Amino acid sequence: MRRGSLLRTFLTEGAFMKKGEIIANFVIVLFFIFLFICSFQLRQVKRFGEVGSGFWPMLTLALAILLSLIMLLSNLIKYNREKKQTGSVEPTSAEAKVEIKNLRKKIALSMVFLLFYIIIMPWIGFILATFLYILGFILLLGERRKLVLILSPVLATALIVIIFAKFIAIPVPKGVGIFAALSRLVY
Amino acid sequence: MLLPQNLLAICMGGLWGIIAGALPGISTSMGVVLLLPFTYSMSPITAFTMLVSAYCGGITGGSITAVLFGIPGEPSAVPTVMEGYSLAKKGHAAHALWVFILASAIGGIFSVFVMMAATPVIANFALRFGPPEYFALTLLGLSVVSGLSGGSVLKGMISCLFGIFLATIGTDGITGSERFTFGTTILLGGINFVTAMVGLLAVSEVFIEEEQPFKEVKGSAEYKGLRQELPKFSEYKENWAILTKSSIIGTIVGALPGAGATIASFLAYGEAARSSKHPERFGNGAIDGLMATESSNNASTGGSMTTLLALGIPGSNTTAMLVAAFMIHGLQPGPLLLTQRPDIIYGIFVAMLLTNIFLVALSVIGVRLFLQLNRLPYSVFSAVIMILCVIGAFGLSNSVDDLYVMFAFGVIGYGMRKFGFPIAPAVLGLVLGDLAELSLRRSLLLSLGNPLILVSRPLSAILLFFAALSILYPLFKKPSVLKDVEM
Repeated sequence: MRRGSLLRTFLTEGAFMKKGEIIANFVIVLFFIFLFICSFQLRQVKRFGEVGSGFWPMLTLALAILLSLIMLLSNLIKYNREKKQTGSVEPTSAEAKVEIKNLRKKIALSMVFLLFYIIIMPWIGFILATFLYILGFILLLGERRKLVLILSPVLATALIVIIFAKFIAIPVPKGVGIFAALSRLVY
Repeated sequence: MLLPQNLLAICMGGLWGIIAGALPGISTSMGVVLLLPFTYSMSPITAFTMLVSAYCGGITGGSITAVLFGIPGEPSAVPTVMEGYSLAKKGHAAHALWVFILASAIGGIFSVFVMMAATPVIANFALRFGPPEYFALTLLGLSVVSGLSGGSVLKGMISCLFGIFLATIGTDGITGSERFTFGTTILLGGINFVTAMVGLLAVSEVFIEEEQPFKEVKGSAEYKGLRQELPKFSEYKENWAILTKSSIIGTIVGALPGAGATIASFLAYGEAARSSKHPERFGNGAIDGLMATESSNNASTGGSMTTLLALGIPGSNTTAMLVAAFMIHGLQPGPLLLTQRPDIIYGIFVAMLLTNIFLVALSVIGVRLFLQLNRLPYSVFSAVIMILCVIGAFGLSNSVDDLYVMFAFGVIGYGMRKFGFPIAPAVLGLVLGDLAELSLRRSLLLSLGNPLILVSRPLSAILLFFAALSILYPLFKKPSVLKDVEM
């Protein structure tokens, strides 16, 4: 009885199943299997009497594969059971779908924006990059108040540069060319 | 000791520590390092006073942002996010803050008394820990966090294993071979855990928050101040057992070289969940969990200092910085220091005691300071957090490469959260993975390949037993919750 309830716990844990989650589970299993295969090569690398570089990765990855397979299985069971019960899987209204899509776009855009910030910082220097980032980011988030849009990038960048670049003297990137010259004026 | 300049050092060091600990990009050790140059010209006692109070302040500060904004400033504050932030979201931020301030003070003061009384005893005990015990200890920490991160134990374990895997990336400590670097140079040095932590916790948190519709001002705008909910002494009386236990756990774990505030806070949190009368509250604002983790992580400061002063071995990252401070002043921490310069030792004891007492007031100031951030328009607040993360990640190694790593982890962290995988186990897996693996391999070297060494030594056997318990216990507890739901 004990074991049965343990199994039941594992299988019925969690809430509603979505197809996306099953796909994600599948990807996770594949991910771990791929890494496991990579660690095969490390098995040979060892000193005398030692278990070698591959031992620990293979051990943990094997465990990870096992657990994610269990998770995939239990999710599949749950998904099928819910499908039988409700007939279809969570119908979403049209407007909810549009909202979700917009939200995803916003978040994806913010990620790209952050990446962009990291990429151009070594070129145009910390001050300019930070200023542009703040401006762009708050616009992306939906800020429309003119006062905030104008003041915040200036004030925030100034404060951050003063505290971190001057006071604590963290060597943030200066940029190249004329940007470097400009940066050196400040810090 | 009670000279005005020392008291001033305590206040300034403590406040600086709180700020450094609270900001997600700056860790406590970095905060202490940044303070070092200022202390060169001071007398040894004043210098150490300042550094030690920065250390204690840092551990405390990490929890301020954890409670107010859900972003831990330190890995040791992750359980604080789980309990304190949940409380704050329900409108009880003041309550959570008071609990954390007072529990931290209690833990810290307790550990100082232990430190003063039992320095030789603790040092002795810490020396008994060999590789098998370290392996068992790390396994215990990892199991606790996997089992208790709320939500599915299965996902917790997978997340933890992912973290452990991340720790293997880079150069193998024993054989020197490259693992999982795929030919890039970025990953040769392995994944710096601060960079990953900043990405997984802070950056992903900002992404998650973006899902909320646009807000003018940050969420906890209803929070007026600490006077909103004064601390209730009955709470502390009824939880005295947990407070004592957590302080003991914190002190001992802090004393172990290589194990610091992070492991201490998780272990105490796990123990509180295990022995709590209301385990289902954990993850949603359990007061005893909050008390446990806070008193424990402050107690670890006393433990670490004990090992440092008694043996000359730093008990944690930050105490390692203090070794540098000792050397700069021409002193060598260790058994000789006690006989040669007892004034320094006792000076540090008193400094820590006073610091932990002062920290109550300093924390209040710190909280007020961070509350001002609430007034910022929310969008600007998010942008600034991101930039602080970038600075923090960059400041560690001065390389833009680390920023890409941080970004990758921000995206990974977002994905993890969306699919219900708790982040805490991955962070801890990354932090402890190296220690776990090295301990295991050293143990096997010691025993010439016989894995039974892990259970034949009593101490490691006990720890492993608790580790197994932490994983199995939540599974057995769950059916009773299910019963209520299904019936």
